[in-house]
This record gives sequence, structure tokens and C-alpha cells, in this order.
Amino acid sequence: MKNRLKVLRAERDWSQADLADRLEVSRQTVNAIETGKYDPSLPLAFKIGRLFEQPIETIFDDEAA
Amino acid sequence: MNAVSETPRNLVPRLILAGVGLLFGGGLGYLVGRLIKSGALDASRFGWSDSLATLIAASLVVIGLIIGLASFSRKAVGRMIDSSGTHVATPAQASFYMQQAIVIFLAGVLMAAPVVTAASFEVIPMVVASIVMLVILAIFLVQTVYNLVVWRRSDELLRRVTSETGAVCFWVLQGLLFLWAAAEKLELAPKLTAWDIMTVLMGTYLVVASIMSARRGLS
Repeated sequence: MKNRLKVLRAERDWSQADLADRLEVSRQTVNAIETGKYDPSLPLAFKIGRLFEQPIETIFDDEAA
Repeated sequence: MNAVSETPRNLVPRLILAGVGLLFGGGLGYLVGRLIKSGALDASRFGWSDSLATLIAASLVVIGLIIGLASFSRKAVGRMIDSSGTHVATPAQASFYMQQAIVIFLAGVLMAAPVVTAASFEVIPMVVASIVMLVILAIFLVQTVYNLVVWRRSDELLRRVTSETGAVCFWVLQGLLFLWAAAEKLELAPKLTAWDIMTVLMGTYLVVASIMSARRGLS
């Protein structure tokens, strides 16, 4: 699944570690999501959506899978 | 920041880690060598599974010690989390790494204890065997508690990798165990001991865990 996490993070000038702290996950998890190696759980996807104040479907694109 | 500018910064901690690993590994190898030479350990009684278990145990002990020592420094843990070197770990992150180190170190001790004890005696006295078994049980209980703590504190990626590793190991090993058991029953394959099977299980688990971690970008 493709996502815009890296772009959204860059817009806020956050490092992967910064975002990981805000999401209460490890930096490796943020990296794995950004590189498409791991799709987050629904609760984490909602958390990401709330953090960036955007609906999940504007951050994650399941049709590109 | 590009990949080229990151390389020298990543190289230093990796070289330090390799140096520490070499120091611990070399020291451990020297110690075992001295024990065998002095006759305190009889390596001739080592079967293939004992040798494999010793190798796995030594690796686990060394890795556990390295991570454990590194976790005393929040900066070092920060480097393990983010190799750019700008991240300083929180006390909670440092303690998480310490708990993981304890689990790994104790796993190594648990694997080494029966092999070292068996290799130290021609015939193991019942008292010694009982004491060692009690110590193993106590360490196993402590390690189980720490394992559960690490699981509870893990985030969803680490839990996913652990679950996937368990699933792959089950499917691979139950198939292999069935085939070996069938061949053994038909007297086509030599008999395996519980220790042989446990060592193969542990070795397979570590290999599969490494593959799963790399696949998910955890390593």
C-alpha cells in the first residue's frame, strides 16, 4: 500500500524519530510504513490521520497495492 | 541528506560494535579453549547439537552483553534507534533495550548450561544435575517474565515480526519434524534426542527471525 507519510512528515520538518515519538511507535515502524514494507493496523492508521488532521484515505492509497 | 553523507557517520558506530563483538567473542572463545585444554570441559563428548547449541548460546550471550552495556548510555541507544546520531533515547527506550538484552543474554545462558554441565563430568552426579536443573528453571522463569514484559512494551511492528516468525517456524518445523519422525519410524533416519530437536528449533527461529526482521525493515 502506498502512502504520503514521508511527504507529510517532511512538510512539518519532522524526523522519523520525531514522528515515531508522536505516534508512540518505534522509528523502525515509521520507516517500514514509509518504505511500504509494513501496513499499519487500523488503530495506528487512525492515529496517523488524527495527527496530520487528514482522513486516512488521503494518506493511504490501497488501489496502488 | 543523502546516502553518501550518511555513510561515514554510520560506519563509526558499526565499527565500534564490530570491535566490541570481536572483543567479547574472542574472549569467550579463548575462555572455552582454555577450559577444554585444561580438561575442565571435554569437547569429545560434544555431539553436533551440543556444538550448534554452544555456538548459538555464545552468540546470544555476546549480543545480550553488547546491547545491555550499550543501553546504559541513552546516546548509544539513540544511535541504535536512529543511526544519524542526533537522537538521544528516552529513559523508557533505554530500559526497553536493557530488557531485550536481558532476554537475549538469559536465552544464551539457558542454552549453554546443560551443555557445559554435561561436558564437565564423565557422569553427572544427581545432586549436581538437580541443582543445575533448579537454576535453569529459575532463570527460565525470570526470562519468561522479561519476555512477556518486552512483548507488552513492543509496538505493533515488533509484535507482527514476532508473530510471523512463530508462524513460519511452526509450519516449517512441524513439517520437517513429521518427515523425520516418519523416516525414523521406518528406520531410514537416525534417532534424534529432545536436545537435538530443541537446538534445531532455536537455530531455525533465529534465522527466520532475522529474515522476517529484514523483510519488514526492522533490522
